[in-house]
Amino acid sequence: MSIFYDLTLSHFLVLAATLFAIGITGVLLRRNAIIVMMSIELMLNAANITVLAFSRGFAGQDNNAAYQGQAFALIVIAIAAAEAAVGLAIVVTVFRTRRHSDIDRLTMLKD
Amino acid sequence: MSNLPISRKCLMWLGALALGLLVVFGLEPSVALAAAEHAADSTAHTFTSKVAGDGGAGKGAAFAFWSFALCAVGGSLFVITRRNMVTAVMGMVGTFFAIAGLYLMLYASFLAVMQVLVYAGAIMVLFVFVIMILNRPVDEPWAVQGILGKAIAALGVLYLFKRLAGILWQVKDTHALVLAKDKLDVEVVLNHSDPELLKDLGVLSIRGLKHADVCKSLFAVCRDNTLNHTVADTVKNAYEFGSVEGVGYTLFSKYLFPFEAVSIVLLVAVVGAIAIARPDKNEPEGEAAKEAS
Repeated sequence: MSIFYDLTLSHFLVLAATLFAIGITGVLLRRNAIIVMMSIELMLNAANITVLAFSRGFAGQDNNAAYQGQAFALIVIAIAAAEAAVGLAIVVTVFRTRRHSDIDRLTMLKD
Repeated sequence: MSNLPISRKCLMWLGALALGLLVVFGLEPSVALAAAEHAADSTAHTFTSKVAGDGGAGKGAAFAFWSFALCAVGGSLFVITRRNMVTAVMGMVGTFFAIAGLYLMLYASFLAVMQVLVYAGAIMVLFVFVIMILNRPVDEPWAVQGILGKAIAALGVLYLFKRLAGILWQVKDTHALVLAKDKLDVEVVLNHSDPELLKDLGVLSIRGLKHADVCKSLFAVCRDNTLNHTVADTVKNAYEFGSVEGVGYTLFSKYLFPFEAVSIVLLVAVVGAIAIARPDKNEPEGEAAKEAS
């Protein structure tokens, strides 16, 4: 079972793609705004895994490129934190005025 | 539990399995670390070993990877399938811990710590707060009740205290440690940096100086913009890959502007979140209503 024992770059990439797919499924299928935001966080994490896996792949050949990946991932985490703060504030505001957070029923801008 | 649908049962078992693996790795991190180290030190290099390459058999690393992957995928499935939002958040926390473990396997230790602190700590607490404020839970999250639950909680707390005490007990004289580390750092700089480059920079005479002087001269050179990157890279390459020092040198030399820009983004986000979530002035409620009347 060499696919089980020999970890390669592809293992991490496939795992990240799986997590991203699960996150996109959550965004498309769930109607609760908070679950949708958690799925978005999941997708950001999947992207981070990809970045760090490539960073690891570069280590040894080009350490600058490797550290670029880690710096990038750190910035992604910070942006995700900012996004969560603003998004949850919007959810709270919507809930306060509408008494629900169902994104399928938020159609005021569309109609 | 017998009247639950089959898919829900499967998810429960998956979650329990993921939780068990987390507990195993959480209780004895040294085991997992030793396994990873063993895999890294084996003559044939795997992807997760210190030198990137192909082939090789790292069973410990493979086991760690597959269990972390199982935790991450199981937890994220929990997030998108649960009706109870608190359960979903708990699945998310498990996912984030597993992802932090994956970061560790990719030699991004600083990122792993940030992942646990920022995601599993701050962001998830924010989510739980909002859920508690907005939504009444659909059904109670499953938990061990009664005397059994208390016993398990007490055992957990005792174990935590034991580990904390063990860590505190191991702390040696820090001053001596720092002195020893300083000596090592000087050795590292002297041995690994490019002697030609140092000669060009006029810091060849650092051999006779103390560590503080070496640092001072190096940083004085670093301040010169034209040489900024070369010297920083020279010093950086002296450290092992994936160390906090390396990330720090990258962030504070090459990526200083994005790093500072992120701080502005965070400030704007905090101010914006407060501005959005603040109660409407036109809609009198609470203290404002009392003052108005």
